[in-house]
Amino acid sequence: MASYVLGEFQEEAALCAAARRLRELGFAGLDAHSPVPIHGVDEALGLKRSPVPLIGLVGMLLGGGGAYLMQWWMNAVDYSINVGGRPPQSAPAFIPVTFESAVLVASVFIVGGLFALAGFPRLHHPVFEVEAFRTACVDGFWLSAEVEAPRAEAAAEEMRRLGARNVSRVDGEEA
Amino acid sequence: MAETATQVERLDPLEPIPVLAGRPGDRELNDQLFLPVWQQTRRGWLALFAITSSLAGLLVLAVSYTVATGIGVWGNNIPVGWAFDIINFVWWIGIGHAGTLISAILLLFQQRWRTSINRFAEAMTLFAVMQALIFPALHTGRPWFDFWLFPYPSTLGLWPNFKSPLMWDVFAVNTYFLVSLMFWYVGLLPDLAALRDTSKKRAARIAYGIFALGWRGSARHWRHYRIAYLLLAGISTPLVLSVHSVVSFDFAVSLLPGWHTTIFPPYFVAGAIFSGFAMVLTLVIPARKVFGFEGVITAKHLENMAKVMLATGLMVSYGYALEHFNAWYSGDHFESFLFFHTRQAGPYAPVYWLMIFCNVLVPQIFWWKKARQSIWTLWIASILVNVGMWTERFVIIVISLHRDFLPSSWAMYYPTLVDWSIYVGTLGMFGTLFLLFLRFVPSVSASEVKELRRELDHEAHARAAH
Repeated sequence: MASYVLGEFQEEAALCAAARRLRELGFAGLDAHSPVPIHGVDEALGLKRSPVPLIGLVGMLLGGGGAYLMQWWMNAVDYSINVGGRPPQSAPAFIPVTFESAVLVASVFIVGGLFALAGFPRLHHPVFEVEAFRTACVDGFWLSAEVEAPRAEAAAEEMRRLGARNVSRVDGEEA
Repeated sequence: MAETATQVERLDPLEPIPVLAGRPGDRELNDQLFLPVWQQTRRGWLALFAITSSLAGLLVLAVSYTVATGIGVWGNNIPVGWAFDIINFVWWIGIGHAGTLISAILLLFQQRWRTSINRFAEAMTLFAVMQALIFPALHTGRPWFDFWLFPYPSTLGLWPNFKSPLMWDVFAVNTYFLVSLMFWYVGLLPDLAALRDTSKKRAARIAYGIFALGWRGSARHWRHYRIAYLLLAGISTPLVLSVHSVVSFDFAVSLLPGWHTTIFPPYFVAGAIFSGFAMVLTLVIPARKVFGFEGVITAKHLENMAKVMLATGLMVSYGYALEHFNAWYSGDHFESFLFFHTRQAGPYAPVYWLMIFCNVLVPQIFWWKKARQSIWTLWIASILVNVGMWTERFVIIVISLHRDFLPSSWAMYYPTLVDWSIYVGTLGMFGTLFLLFLRFVPSVSASEVKELRRELDHEAHARAAH
């Protein structure tokens, strides 16, 4: 049974320092919550680079390539239309739709990738159990640790020592 | 009114105008920017909403009448086969472009003044594109068959003709709408979560909670979010340029004098941004006053928008000049007749001169700093530019069509009551959506202003250290 330990810090730097400290102590399921992206928190939490750009690139290639092939197959192969004597497979005329489709599919992949990686939509999460956590998107800087129940007290203790306020513990149902 | 706007920045004339007045704290910013959402519905809002939603009702009536009867109820007929429908389509799409320019291109150029107006401008884009889409959808004549525009395997055994600019338009405009919608919504997520967390009522908490999708400011989300947002900005940039280029191909690819010009794509894009910035000013000036956002949307923002309008206005003027030059230089009789006779002295000459006044002369006032900093001048000029850009599309479309190659086929175009109703109706629908947006969504991005404040703090520190 996993528990969540939450603590609120006054400012970004303290949160980063606390994240680093808890990670050194071997707590793995750490996360920071803040109203704005924090400089340096990725390093503190040991997060890797986001794969979203790659996902977007795949979308762009699929969208653009797919749209070109679609136009070629529809207008040159399956139902060849002679328009003003231009060749059935007329690359310049196919560029706008190819480009627009590349942009559209890339965007869908980027947004879809973001949602999938972030696990959206997920309307409930154990951290929302803590009423004080409602500052996390407004002006609070929170550290959360997903820990095994026996270690929860140790994590809470450490957060308090590092200057956290509102240290709370949520004993998970499913987590 | 002009005084209040200049008060903020005239404290010390040697100090540059700030992009953010003071250094409000995070909580303070939320309180200030979310106030229009949390406070009681105001009487003024209700009055405006009553007007705009009645006009939107008119739109519903006029559209229903058109669909039930057929587009013969419109004034356009051969030779003027395109008229209000396409004028309004191009006008609305153009207005949308400033939103994408502000949110995407200025983000990539790290223009700080974009931060407080981007949400506003993106909403404008979305709502403008929605209005634009109504027109070609109806103009097909049988809108219940509009799905034929999309390539799907049908029992008819036919495919769309992808060598037609009208097909390109379908893809460009739909892509534009969908990408703008995603960009806007992704940008909204942190603020929706903040709304959920500052709500006092359970219903609001649940409603905003659903739209926030479970955003909890997690660092694990932010790292995907930031790059996703930046990438969306990156691909919106060529997108916005392509959309109006494609719209201009609808004209430029044909042979009609007044349409058949290579200057069209850049000239259309410049015109779109010109009219879009005008619309942002028209909307933002009253809104910042009503909501007391003068500290976030400062005179700096207004002045910068005026400068963009001046620049794009000059590009549009250059487009006009080059069109006329090409007509003369081509030596083509029909081209010269259109550009040097029909436009200036034909039956629609007043529209042409109104266009020249609004689009060429009016923006010149922004060479003067005084004009750029005077609220009333800005607001009136922005409305004139909106009018001017509408007349430009009228000039391009109707004037070119009503005098084509054969004098025997010349004819006048007069909009009917239904034409006017649909146009005014879209203004009402746009206003309605915009008022709903102002009421239920924070119109200035709180999370981005918080970031901006940190950047400014950081810079002030660095400067103090030197």
